[in-house]
Order: sequence, then C-alpha cells, then structure tokens
Amino acid sequence: MTRLAAEAVGWAVAGRFVLVDVDLALAAGSLTALTGENGAGKSSLLALLAGSRKPARGVVKLDDVPLADIDAAHLARRLARLDHTPGLYLELSALENLKLFHGLLHPSRPEPAIAALLERVGLARRDHDRPVRGFSRGMLQRTALARVLASGADVWLLDEPSTGLDRAGSALLADVLDDARRQGAAILLATHDPALLPLADRQLHLAHGHVVATEAA
Amino acid sequence: MLLRLTWLLLQKDLRIALRSREVFGFMLLFALLCVVVFAFGFLREGEAAAAQVPGALWVTLLFSGTVGLLRLFTAEDEGGTLQLAQRTLAGPHPLLLSKALMQLLFSGVTTLLILPIVLVFFDAALAQPGVVLAALALGLLGQAMLGALVAALLVHVRLREVLLPLVLYPLLAPLLIAGVRATVLAQAHAPAEALNGWLGLMLAYDALVLAVAPWLHARVVEV
Repeated sequence: MTRLAAEAVGWAVAGRFVLVDVDLALAAGSLTALTGENGAGKSSLLALLAGSRKPARGVVKLDDVPLADIDAAHLARRLARLDHTPGLYLELSALENLKLFHGLLHPSRPEPAIAALLERVGLARRDHDRPVRGFSRGMLQRTALARVLASGADVWLLDEPSTGLDRAGSALLADVLDDARRQGAAILLATHDPALLPLADRQLHLAHGHVVATEAA
Repeated sequence: MLLRLTWLLLQKDLRIALRSREVFGFMLLFALLCVVVFAFGFLREGEAAAAQVPGALWVTLLFSGTVGLLRLFTAEDEGGTLQLAQRTLAGPHPLLLSKALMQLLFSGVTTLLILPIVLVFFDAALAQPGVVLAALALGLLGQAMLGALVAALLVHVRLREVLLPLVLYPLLAPLLIAGVRATVLAQAHAPAEALNGWLGLMLAYDALVLAVAPWLHARVVEV
C-alpha cells in the first residue's frame, strides 16, 4: 500500500528547475534509498515530500490525499524528518527534547518510554540528562534518530542519517531502520553511505534533477 | 489544547532562558546603558531633569524590548525546530503566544528593575504609581504581542536585524505616544478624566493587536 507518492513533481530555484517530473511511491514496510551527487536535488526532493516546500509542478500525496489538503499538525504526526540540522533544542537534554516533541505532537497520548528509546539509539544513561549542546555530531544524530522513533510517524524521510555516526552507530542505525520497516514504516533514505544501500528494497538515483535509474535490490 | 501547548512551549523557553541567560542579560544591560545615556544627555547645569522621566523610561523600554525579540525565533530556527513548533495540534498560535508571553516576562522584569534606577538617575519620584504601572503594563503587553508577530514574520528575511526596528517602531508609535502622555499626566497629578483617554487608547490598541496578531501569524505560516 502506497503511503507517500510524488507525481510529476518539479521544483525551481530562481527560474531554474532543480527537480523535473519526479515520480516516486513509498509503500508501507519499504525502504527506498535515494542517491545522487551533491546538488542532484535529494534534499530538495525530501523537503517537497515533507511538505515544507510546495512543488512548482506536480503533487505530493499522503494516502492519496494531496499534502496541501492535509492539516499541518496531522502531517507532522505522520511524517518524521531527519535532515542536516538535528531538530533539537540545544539547551535542553535529550530526555527533555523528546518529551517536549512528544507533548507537542501527541498532547493526549501517554508518553512512550523515552529513556528506553534513547538507549535504543545507543545513548548512555549518563547522557540523557545533560544539555545536547555538549553532544558530539554523532550523539546529536543519535538523539535526532530517537526523536524520529518517538514521533510514532509511519513515513520517515531521512537525509544522510549516518552523518557523524561511528561504525557502531551506523550498524545501530541500520538495525533501527530495519525494525521500523518491519513494523510498517515507509522509509526514504537519501544517502552517500554505501553501508546503508544493501538495506534498501529499491534504489533511486537522481542526476541533474531527474530520476535517472531505479534499481530493485 | 491551545493553553496546554502554549504552556509547554513557554516552559521550554523559560528553561532555555535560565540555562543560557543570554537574552535577558543583554536586555537588562542595554536598558541600563540607555538610562545612563539619557540621564547624562538630559543633565541641565548639573541638575537631573525629572521632567524627562516619561520619555526616557518609555524609549528605554522600547529599545531594550527589541534586543531579544528576534532571538526568540532565531533560536528555534538554528536548531531546526521552528517548523515542528509551529505544527502543533492547535496550529501556530501556541508558538506565537508563548513567545509573546516570554517577551512580556523579560520586559516586565526589566521594567521592574529599571524603573527605580531611572527614578534615582533623574532624581524623581512616581506621583501616581498605580497609573504609571498600569500604563507600563498595557504598553509592554502590546509591545510583546506585536513584537513577537513582527519577529515571527521576519525570522527568515535577510537583514532582519535592520528591518525589525524599522517595521516595529512605527507600528508601536501610537502605543508609545499614549504611554508617554499617560505617564506625563500622572507625574503632573492630572485627574482621572485626563488620564482615561490615553489609557483607553492603549487598551484599544492592545485589544486590536491581540485579536489580529494570531490570525495574521497563522496566515503567514501557511504560505
């Protein structure tokens, strides 16, 4: 079942199209890798799919409903995004950040076991309560991944999620992604990391704003 | 739901402010500098000019109130959390309200600390403290709400630091004028009838800003 779909989507910057007629469908329980050189349009495509930019052409749909017709709060609960910024308040601890985001997204839902989620992404207990400003890039990335987990979203849009992660962190990321896919999440992963590509069910290659190759794993 | 989410965001901002201490410290320091500059600027033959208290006080609060405004929103943007904070169940209103309340708290505490210093520097006393405090409360409320709105609208604009006062100050002019006039009259022991007009104008201004700002903010966030 297709969760998120892009239909002939285009995006222009200063009159020049950086994405042209991109078609894409993310099914529930699938992991799609998006590859391409720097400037190919991967991050722009993720921003369009997340609804944070409006396409110049075409339409993006979540469960067959155009994103433009979906309430922003509902969209935030369904789509989790991890991009170049960690999406965290640097003066707050990892625990405080995750509790806050859960409270904003699901005010009436009981809080999940947040400490367990942080441990799931390999963050030691001693690091749960200190401000994330003191975290390394890899630790920030792990906390951001825990934020995605805590969101309860069923569509994940991840831009270079292995940035800053050590080997153990990358293995843990692969494990988390595999688990999420098994539980039915539709995952799109923009990456240059060859270690993550074998995880994907399908690989899309972007070049000069076009999808030039689609490869099934 | 609106109040619950606003409180959640406000708690977060308070916690961040207590840990970073950057915005409030700068606001207070800037206000203090303004008072000192005005006090020495208005010295006449070695005598402090008590008559200048209303103008010096209100302009100090206007200037210092602008110092931390943009920071309230740029701090969200730096961590990549602005969009998420806008997309709550209650829409973007909790974010704007929490920022306005935060600004009101900062400027309120600054006022309470600065007011006695102004009186000392200008060798003056408050003639009608209740009226002056009421005028200050109305002024700070309008400034906080409108300031939060303008800062939210400018957060992604280049040269926002330059644009903020250029956009905000003309919009705040009616409130500033009414606040200064009410304070001048209060200091001159004017009767209530003379003061009511200016306080009423401030009340009407605040009511308009409180009604329009959330609506306008929501429209702009949607675009």
